[in-house]
Amino acid sequence: MEVILKLKEDITVPVELDALLPEKMEGMDVEEIRDIEIPQGRTTVKVGDLFEVEIEESDIPKMTIKNSSFKLKRVGEGMTTGEIVIEGDVGMHLGAEMKGGRIVVNGNVDNWAGRGMKGGELIIKGNARDYLGSAYRGGYRGMSGGLIVVEGNAGHEIGEHMHGGMIHVKGNVGYFAGIHAKGGIIKIDGDVLGRLGAEMIKGAIVVKGRVPEVLPSFKYEGIVENPLIKVKKKEEGVRIEGVYHMFTGDYVSKKPKGQLYISVDRNPHLG
Amino acid sequence: MEYIIKNGIVFDPLNKIDGEQMDICIKDGVIVESVSEDAKVIDASGCVVMAGGIDSHTHISGPKVNTGRMMRPEDSYKEIYVKKGLKPGTGFSVPTTYKTGYQYCEMGYTLAIEAAMPPLKAKHVHDEFVDIPQIDKGALTLFGNNWMVMRYLKEKDYELCAAYVAWVLKNTRGFAIKIVNPGGTEAWGWGKNVHGLDDPTPYFNITGREIVRGLCKVNEMLGLPHSIHVHPNDLGHPGNWKTTIETMDCVKDIEPKPKYGERETVYYNAHVQFHSYGGTSWKDFESKGVEIAEYVNKSDHVVVDVGQITLDETTTMTADGPMEYDLHVSTGNKWANCDVELETGSGVVPFNYSPKGPVYSVQWAIGLDIFLNTDPSKVILATDHPNGGPFTRFSRIIAWLMSKKYRDYWLNEVVHRWARTRSSVGDNDKEYTMYEIAQITRANQAKVLGLSLERGHLGVGAIADIAIYEINPEEKDPKVIERAFRYAKYTFKKGEMVVKDGQVVKEVFGDTIYVDVKIDETLERELMKDLDEVFRKYYTIQMENYKVPEYLANNWKVIKIENSQIS
Repeated sequence: MEVILKLKEDITVPVELDALLPEKMEGMDVEEIRDIEIPQGRTTVKVGDLFEVEIEESDIPKMTIKNSSFKLKRVGEGMTTGEIVIEGDVGMHLGAEMKGGRIVVNGNVDNWAGRGMKGGELIIKGNARDYLGSAYRGGYRGMSGGLIVVEGNAGHEIGEHMHGGMIHVKGNVGYFAGIHAKGGIIKIDGDVLGRLGAEMIKGAIVVKGRVPEVLPSFKYEGIVENPLIKVKKKEEGVRIEGVYHMFTGDYVSKKPKGQLYISVDRNPHLG
Repeated sequence: MEYIIKNGIVFDPLNKIDGEQMDICIKDGVIVESVSEDAKVIDASGCVVMAGGIDSHTHISGPKVNTGRMMRPEDSYKEIYVKKGLKPGTGFSVPTTYKTGYQYCEMGYTLAIEAAMPPLKAKHVHDEFVDIPQIDKGALTLFGNNWMVMRYLKEKDYELCAAYVAWVLKNTRGFAIKIVNPGGTEAWGWGKNVHGLDDPTPYFNITGREIVRGLCKVNEMLGLPHSIHVHPNDLGHPGNWKTTIETMDCVKDIEPKPKYGERETVYYNAHVQFHSYGGTSWKDFESKGVEIAEYVNKSDHVVVDVGQITLDETTTMTADGPMEYDLHVSTGNKWANCDVELETGSGVVPFNYSPKGPVYSVQWAIGLDIFLNTDPSKVILATDHPNGGPFTRFSRIIAWLMSKKYRDYWLNEVVHRWARTRSSVGDNDKEYTMYEIAQITRANQAKVLGLSLERGHLGVGAIADIAIYEINPEEKDPKVIERAFRYAKYTFKKGEMVVKDGQVVKEVFGDTIYVDVKIDETLERELMKDLDEVFRKYYTIQMENYKVPEYLANNWKVIKIENSQIS
């Protein structure tokens, strides 16, 4: 079953959509979906007040949001199966704590997309903002599984407290990618502003673009070619193409196992 | 308003009432012999009736609690409390002020003692008390690392020390003397810690033994209702049980002389679970709970509260600054640290006591070891909220104590195997009776705090703080026990019904209790000479701004002592 929600008009007050998971709406009829209560600001409204609701046939539990905007928050939070497709931009906490399924955004996403994600796929065709795949504010349980792909750029502190899984950003990122990481792999095809992997204990960050400088608490390990990245010893590993400067750290902690791979071509000033 | 609570099964250890079916009459906020026919009848048949619960060691108010709230938005996110007609609140381990009051009350608790108030920050503590509804409050003032105290004790000038303590208690509106890691927190100001009872602190060159003994003497000179309330040295270090026993032993010759209340002991050991560790490192870490319990059983001068670990993700906070630093280094978690000028310090670190962790499981078992082996009239139920776990878990601890089956389930199925091999919880068949539960949750507290004249019991003349739990006294089903003690059927606060069926139905604001001991005038003049100098030279604030003003309480309840040895 596919539920198609079309936002009737732009809203100013944000609305929280964590109650609208495809798996939860499976088997409901249009009326029932229209009657689902969702919080908007300090009041509660019904889905039917804001959205036009349609149902179509589909093999998997699916939800499509049309005319989406940054004011739609917590879309796909806690999702375990099915698919969500978003036409337009979407607000904070997209796919937070999701365990499975797939979310595709044909637009940009706000902060905290994939927060504390445990599994599944999050495909973002536009840009993502800060705290992509990170932990809740103050918490220490970041993304622990699954895959996040961002076709555009991402903001600061992506993969904060990341434990596992993979984040692939095809554009540029800001400061502090992989801060406090304890596992997982972050791949960045573009440039970074700096301070990669601050306080990271484990995990790997691969940068194909330019890195202005590496934190002084990282140790230079030499140049590697087509390295096989293993975050845990027994893992099969991920092979990446290219020639990289390798660093380990962050040596502000005892015995860190974090790895940085930074393209040699774009960064002759390192090493 | 008059009430009559009919046909309840009453457990009142202070009056030696063990499960008798009787009626309790309430009039004008106190328990009376009889009421008129207009009295409202509360049917308590099939229910257990006890005095309102007392938490004698908890951290619910003040700067370090607030720091805990601020640095842990993720804890706030975990539990959200929204009920109609009540102020909303958040936080699992460090709840907001209103939520704290409501939840204590839901559990049938009516008095909580904030266990660490730095004198300089007393205004903050009392300001938050104003916003904690439903319960009465008191705050223990920190003295164990105070410069003035250390100076007077080093000079063996007990009279001036007593005068100083009395002055601080009166002006910060404190309830009793709290000692935290004596000498250790001062040493932390120098980047060090003290190890054991006889390790002197830098500069002042005074040992923990001198501080504890000195303040214990001072406490009895003043005749305070509560004894000294001690968090000994070496908290959380493997092998610290010897320090704990040494500290208990060093005051055994001092006589209790309270001028108010019926206290019979001179030493209160807070969260003794954290102080009952055997072994030499975390690798050979084991329980010495039984040894501690044996010592407590044979001594007349000691009462302990357990500080049970509840195996939750919580926030640790204590005035023991160096200990929190160790915790931060060992876990890598975020850390807050504070030095309070001339007086004390503190630290805050979030902590996850995972049931799968071998050390945490043993810590859990040590708490139970102490509960199960100590005489129930000498042990007190507390979690050192939020250090061992939040106070909302008290009912689960009661279930562990009342049901061996439930305890064994946790021991065998939930926690790490170390708990089985390194403690004796599995071999112990003791199950707490309802009478003993009443002892460890209200009667012992009332007695040791010196408040048993009017609190912690249901005799005529007592304040009508009453908890009614819907449970059969013989109940063994842990789920029923846990539920019944988590949500009281009724709670009465000062004769008013404030909780019904586990829901807060009326918001009331309780008293703040403090002590005021009269000081001899010549002694006071001498003290003020010293104090003026200290404020002029060292403090960053004026003496007048140091005092807690009258308006920082909903209602002050003062215990005046006019016939102490220094009056």
